[in-house]
Amino acid sequence: MQNSVQPMVRDTDNMNKLNRRQFVGGSTVAAGSLAAGIAMPGIARAAEDAWGDLTGKFVYDGVAPERKKLVVDKDVECCGKFDIRDESLMVGDDGGLKNVYIYVRSKRVDICPDLDKETEDKVLLDNRDCIFVPHCMSIWTSKQKYHIVNSDPVAQNVAFNPLLDKPANIVIPVDGDATWTFRRAQRVPVPIACNYHPWESAYILPLDHPYVAITDENGSFTIPKLPVGELEFQIWHERVGYLNTQDWPKGRMKTTIQAGTNDLGTIKLAPSVLEK
Amino acid sequence: MPDAIRTIQRAFLVCLALAFPGCKSANESPSFRINLEGRHPAEVSQTQRDAINQTMEEFFGTPDKPRLPEGTGLDLDRIMMAAGPVAGNADGTQQGLFRQHCATCHGISGDGAGALATTFNPYPRDFRRGTFKYTTTRADAKPLRSDLQRTLLRGIPGTGMPSFSELPTGQLEALVEYVVYLSLRGETEQYLIQLVLDEGEYLPLGTDAKEMILEDATLWVAEQWADVEQNPNEYIVPVPPRPVYASDAQFAESVARGKRLYSSKDAQCVQCHGPDGAGDGEDDEIYDDWNKPKKGVTPEQTAKLSRLYTLPIQKLRARDFREGAFRGGSNPEDLYRRVHIGIKGTPMPAAGPQPGAKGVFTPQDIWDVVNYVLSLSGED
Repeated sequence: MQNSVQPMVRDTDNMNKLNRRQFVGGSTVAAGSLAAGIAMPGIARAAEDAWGDLTGKFVYDGVAPERKKLVVDKDVECCGKFDIRDESLMVGDDGGLKNVYIYVRSKRVDICPDLDKETEDKVLLDNRDCIFVPHCMSIWTSKQKYHIVNSDPVAQNVAFNPLLDKPANIVIPVDGDATWTFRRAQRVPVPIACNYHPWESAYILPLDHPYVAITDENGSFTIPKLPVGELEFQIWHERVGYLNTQDWPKGRMKTTIQAGTNDLGTIKLAPSVLEK
Repeated sequence: MPDAIRTIQRAFLVCLALAFPGCKSANESPSFRINLEGRHPAEVSQTQRDAINQTMEEFFGTPDKPRLPEGTGLDLDRIMMAAGPVAGNADGTQQGLFRQHCATCHGISGDGAGALATTFNPYPRDFRRGTFKYTTTRADAKPLRSDLQRTLLRGIPGTGMPSFSELPTGQLEALVEYVVYLSLRGETEQYLIQLVLDEGEYLPLGTDAKEMILEDATLWVAEQWADVEQNPNEYIVPVPPRPVYASDAQFAESVARGKRLYSSKDAQCVQCHGPDGAGDGEDDEIYDDWNKPKKGVTPEQTAKLSRLYTLPIQKLRARDFREGAFRGGSNPEDLYRRVHIGIKGTPMPAAGPQPGAKGVFTPQDIWDVVNYVLSLSGED
């Protein structure tokens, strides 16, 4: 069944390539339709058992270092009262490692139609207590918009520069907000900074599919409704980028997803894996 | 080891200075320099270098013989006029304009690391990021060709960038097109480098990978350049006419309003430019996008990181308004654009409305702020 749909995907892709060429040459193809050339959802299969979940848990296999207090020396009257600490290595009580990205690396993955209905149409970034909340985000570029708000009594700045996508350097006034769209997927999360408050940091991973999870405070993750069959996954953490382990060389692993739950179990990471 | 790298980098610059324009003898054609900024040279294999250089040459040719993939919309005739060694033709036309006027500072590859680069603050622009500071287009958009031409005509006051207003229009257009070419080349190279060095699984680069680079990078970026030219009204930030002030008292009111807006917590101008616009805000550690990656958390980290770049880390200075000589131009309209659009590639954000963001200032507010800034500089 999978084989029979493959050629159709290819053909549509080629048409998009032609359109893009014509556009550069001066034709009037609208920019909106061009983006589709990059973010091509696969053709969904109807059978209910064609989808499976991937779950697991990342554990920091060592004693977590104390999270350092960050230097807060701007807007001190507002930000100085918060206990602002380094968020680059967040280990829970039972060793669970927070903020590990795990995402499908394979090109042209089929997308479960349910996810189109179930996925929120926006991803929220708040500036709260002089930090970005949450610290790690992902966004499905063709489906979701990035909504940025400011809960602090001072203006905040949100600046990021994704490779070959439009750069952002936005002021978010008190009680203000902004909406941003990403035009293309990235291979790795994009760092976000605030030019006013240099201690603030966050990450966002724009993808052209919804198959990504970020581990929670217990180190656990679930990527729901993946297409069955072989897929390649990528793991990434802000400390080192691609998490290079024996089972995950360059942070990559191929696995065959089956209908139902696919549990990767507990993945222990030696502290050295998280050091550059 | 890091010292060895620095020595090599210095040697390279010296070599550039002596054997300008390329690091080769006078008889050899110069070549574009691979972009390994931020990477440890020892971590890049010869096979990887060759793959990157060969693909780039296949796409974009050499400094003497530039070429373009089909469909970029760039004007190769103009590029040819700016490329190659300096020469005059029998019909009076000129060739090699980029090397004649630009490469000493901006480098043969447009990497902003020409022979004289280290003598400037700020450094000459590195075109390879595709970011240009002073534009009439929105904060998230490419510049228009006319924006780059304006910079050539006026120069950038207070920096090493001189005015080229004496050049005929045809030569200015050729130089602008060449800068776009170097920029398109540079952004393509960034993408290619991510594939080859970070992803590390595309070697040897076959037809499929090259097609992907062409589609995902070269033609994608070319589209952004083409789009602003074809739909300028969608991208140019309109500048409403400056209000007419019937009396000095009315103007003083606008200046006072401007100062209040400037000082508000909603705008944060003070953070970098200081309470009185003297460029002495509490954010005194600011960097542009070209230097930010060289900055670590500790001074030791910064020193270590900085060694992986051709040019040492350079801090940015927020403008001291009292000095005047505004870099993007001192006309009130220029200053309006700086506040509304911001300065791309720097911490100076867009304060005016843009798609998806209301901004902190209305157009009326921006005029008040501009009047305040002009009142400090003594220019009006």
